[in-house]
Amino acid sequence: MNKKELPPFPLFPLHPTRSKRRWQPQFFAGWVLFLLFHSAYAQTPKDCHCLIKGVVKDRETRQPIVGAILRIEGTSFFATTDTSGRYKIDQICQGKYTLECRIVGYKVIKTSIVLEHSAEEDLNLSEDEVHLQDVEIVARRIQTPLSQKSSLLEGQALDLTRGETLGDALKKISGVTTLQTGASISKPVIHGLHSNRVVIMNNGIRQEGQQWGSEHAPEIDPFIAKRLTVVKGAAGVRYGSDAIAGVILVEPDELPKSPRLSGEVNAAAFSNGRIGVVSGTLQGGLPQWKGWTWRIQGTLKNGGNIRTPDYFMANTGVRENNFSATTGYRSSRFGVEAFFSQFVNNIGIFSGSHIGSTSDLLNVIKNGEPFIKTGFTRNIERPNQLILHNLLKGKAFYNFNGNRLSWTVGRQFNRRAEYDLHGPQASTNPALLFRITTLTSDLVLDHKPLGNGKMSGQLGLSGLYQYNFTDGRPLIPDFEQTNIGIFGLERWVFQHWELEAGARFDWRQLDVFRFVGTTPDPRHHSFTNGSGTVGVVYTPDEKLSFRANFGTAWRPPTPNELYSKGVHHGAASYEEGDETLRPEVAYNLIGSVEYTSQRFKGELGMYHNQISDFIYLKPQAEPILTIRGAFPYFKYTQTDATFTGFDLDTQWDVIPKRFSHNLKLSYLRAYDRREQGYLVFIPANRIENELRWSVGKVFSSKDTYLMLSHLWVDKQRRVPPNSDFMEPPSAYHLWNINIGGMLSLKELSQLHWTFAVQNVLNTSYRDYLNRFRYFATEQGRNVSLKLRYTF
Amino acid sequence: MSLFHTRLIILLGLVVTLGSCKKEEPAPEDENELITTVRLKFTENGTTTTQTFEWKDLDGDGGAAPTISAISLRPSRTYKLEVEFLNESVSPAESINSEILEEADEHLVVVTPSASSLFTYTATDKDSRSLPIGLAGTLVTGTASTGTIKVQLRHQPPVNGQPVKNGTVTPGSDDANVTFPLTLVP
Repeated sequence: MNKKELPPFPLFPLHPTRSKRRWQPQFFAGWVLFLLFHSAYAQTPKDCHCLIKGVVKDRETRQPIVGAILRIEGTSFFATTDTSGRYKIDQICQGKYTLECRIVGYKVIKTSIVLEHSAEEDLNLSEDEVHLQDVEIVARRIQTPLSQKSSLLEGQALDLTRGETLGDALKKISGVTTLQTGASISKPVIHGLHSNRVVIMNNGIRQEGQQWGSEHAPEIDPFIAKRLTVVKGAAGVRYGSDAIAGVILVEPDELPKSPRLSGEVNAAAFSNGRIGVVSGTLQGGLPQWKGWTWRIQGTLKNGGNIRTPDYFMANTGVRENNFSATTGYRSSRFGVEAFFSQFVNNIGIFSGSHIGSTSDLLNVIKNGEPFIKTGFTRNIERPNQLILHNLLKGKAFYNFNGNRLSWTVGRQFNRRAEYDLHGPQASTNPALLFRITTLTSDLVLDHKPLGNGKMSGQLGLSGLYQYNFTDGRPLIPDFEQTNIGIFGLERWVFQHWELEAGARFDWRQLDVFRFVGTTPDPRHHSFTNGSGTVGVVYTPDEKLSFRANFGTAWRPPTPNELYSKGVHHGAASYEEGDETLRPEVAYNLIGSVEYTSQRFKGELGMYHNQISDFIYLKPQAEPILTIRGAFPYFKYTQTDATFTGFDLDTQWDVIPKRFSHNLKLSYLRAYDRREQGYLVFIPANRIENELRWSVGKVFSSKDTYLMLSHLWVDKQRRVPPNSDFMEPPSAYHLWNINIGGMLSLKELSQLHWTFAVQNVLNTSYRDYLNRFRYFATEQGRNVSLKLRYTF
Repeated sequence: MSLFHTRLIILLGLVVTLGSCKKEEPAPEDENELITTVRLKFTENGTTTTQTFEWKDLDGDGGAAPTISAISLRPSRTYKLEVEFLNESVSPAESINSEILEEADEHLVVVTPSASSLFTYTATDKDSRSLPIGLAGTLVTGTASTGTIKVQLRHQPPVNGQPVKNGTVTPGSDDANVTFPLTLVP
């Protein structure tokens, strides 16, 4: 079991609401427990007439769940919920138990219960009054494949990353690294794959920008997320066939259930770059419209030049202002929700990275540091990126006879303007401007549990229509594409076994409006293919569980892979597409073992992802001669690649509730089977150790803790020979410190604080997955203070 | 149907219709500042004879290979050299020189021999800070030999508001970087 799901509740909360608030991070982990009745006195003779009963409901819809299996761990007691979601287990002896609730399509819930009664009790009292706990279980529907282990970042772990980019936050999950362009642009990499191979679901909508570009970070305000989930491995069936590496779910909190006005304010200040971030959320209900609730949220970020241990990096400031608004109505039968978000971001691109030719690049590498160093400024000059992303989403669901039909539509507009430090003209036009509009529609039917509640599943139809305009420097042509997919996913539960299988079929039409000179030369591509998944979860006892999944996914070549043609300035290379490329197909086998005991929790996840016709940039023998000199020539080519590795996560409570140790280890080997060699740009292996000391109450700060972490990243030794302008950077060690706690101000308002020092020793290092490793070292020491006030 | 349900339908309808906006027609991309040609004009001192050599890549990066003239000059002479940058992919061809002169404080033309014995080049034009521009200059050839001549147009814009041009090749980046073969024969 995932530790985060374990109930952290005190067994006898005197004020259930207060304790619920205090443990808010865990509250969101997926369940609520109401101890409606208890009596705690001295215990004497064992009585075996205790009873537990209650109701199991969907957390979002509050609909009862039929066919949920409730089991008392370590006993043979179990029950199944009836048509009104009610269950009852009786003839239990008094004692402390763990009640486990299992439903197909939902997260497994475990909750502690205590069944006791006093010796003075009148045994004639009805059982219901004395020996009973009425436990309401609220389950969260799983959107991710069951047999594919997903990793969660939420609560305090997510708080620690506040103010950082989405990519940096995701890096806390083992197996996820980032592809950096300087310090401010970071893209998530799952098991060595990124960009078009990772699907990001932003509040239920596929994020569609220019995600093919390695310097194009996801256009999402990280403060929207209350929970980040990473599904590692091919998950093409549910989220779109191109989820070859995995899926990232960025999920906001559900709309509030009570009309009470509540909210939170986040503020973070970082010494490096003198970055300041403020984000606020306000939510409530509409008094005259029962059932309607709303939320507004906004973020402002402002930062200046980032400093490496030895110098400032010129023009590395960032400015961001985002907002979102949600409103919705919900009853037990149906609900609607409308969401709008806008993301506006201006990122300065380190001016020392601007090169016009290969010789410029070689000169900088030889120099070992940028030629031009400046002081601190917040001004953002060219080169820079100005990005706007709007998302409008509508969602409706309808529950009937235990079935649930939901429809989600989205319209996204992404405008990306890239300003070059280029040429003699002082024009205000960007050198490169992309405008992409995407419409999505997803209709999903979650059918009612069949076969005595043992089987549940969903059927879906999803559509996407997209068009793109590129202006300025020729890079990718204008295009238009339509994608239609149908899928089905079923899950069975049988005693200790859970099985899962699904299939999807996609049909894609791509029209490319290519020009040769000024003459139109349009192209049409049509791709169809299927993907599938089968998986199993075996839980022999409460301590151990095994998962295995085999999934396939396929990805049609994208317009940049088909038609790009030109010098990629940041990479000092000439890149050319190939319009004859075929879709790539991934066959992904993953398995994991999880062991949980009182004081130790370990999880080992292994994967082998074989990708046929893997599309990559292959270096060509002859360079391309241009007016800016010779550039290495790369062509989009296909090969057969394998990505094999494992992630190990352990957590050991050395001294329970006081002192714990956490280990994360990631190993990956990527291999090109046709060329019999390694692939470029694969994250190096790494180990992270973390020691956490829970101090408890210090002055008025509760739950105070101190964390010391050490990250070691190896040098990437598996690279093809002569594939790079410089050798992969050496291995490095990084030390980080986090100190934090919480102050209770009033009944419902709290202040969480975190003081952190990243790169404590101000180590000068470079990372292989930073595209700016040629030009400068990574960020130096960064001291930060983060505050979160909830009311 | 209650007013409430009507509101719901309006809300959903709004979401759907917002997607159906009119969109524009695709258009060819337009590189706003392409340099296709580097033209070198040599005039031997005391004469009016000019020799013109070109490095030319009309279709821009990639595609057809560039054409490069072989430069032939006489040893131990002094030449006046004028460097011109052009965009010949448009008609009429446009000279980039006027734009370089407008932003002379952030541009520098650097002419480098493959061996220092081949020639020396001294710019004769100056920007507002009395630093060379290099579009015009004097080239003095050495003894008879062969080698190459490299012509770079360096773009050296201010960084964080501070000028960086210092008369050397180091700051900034290449807007053009071409190499001609050079023969010095009597």
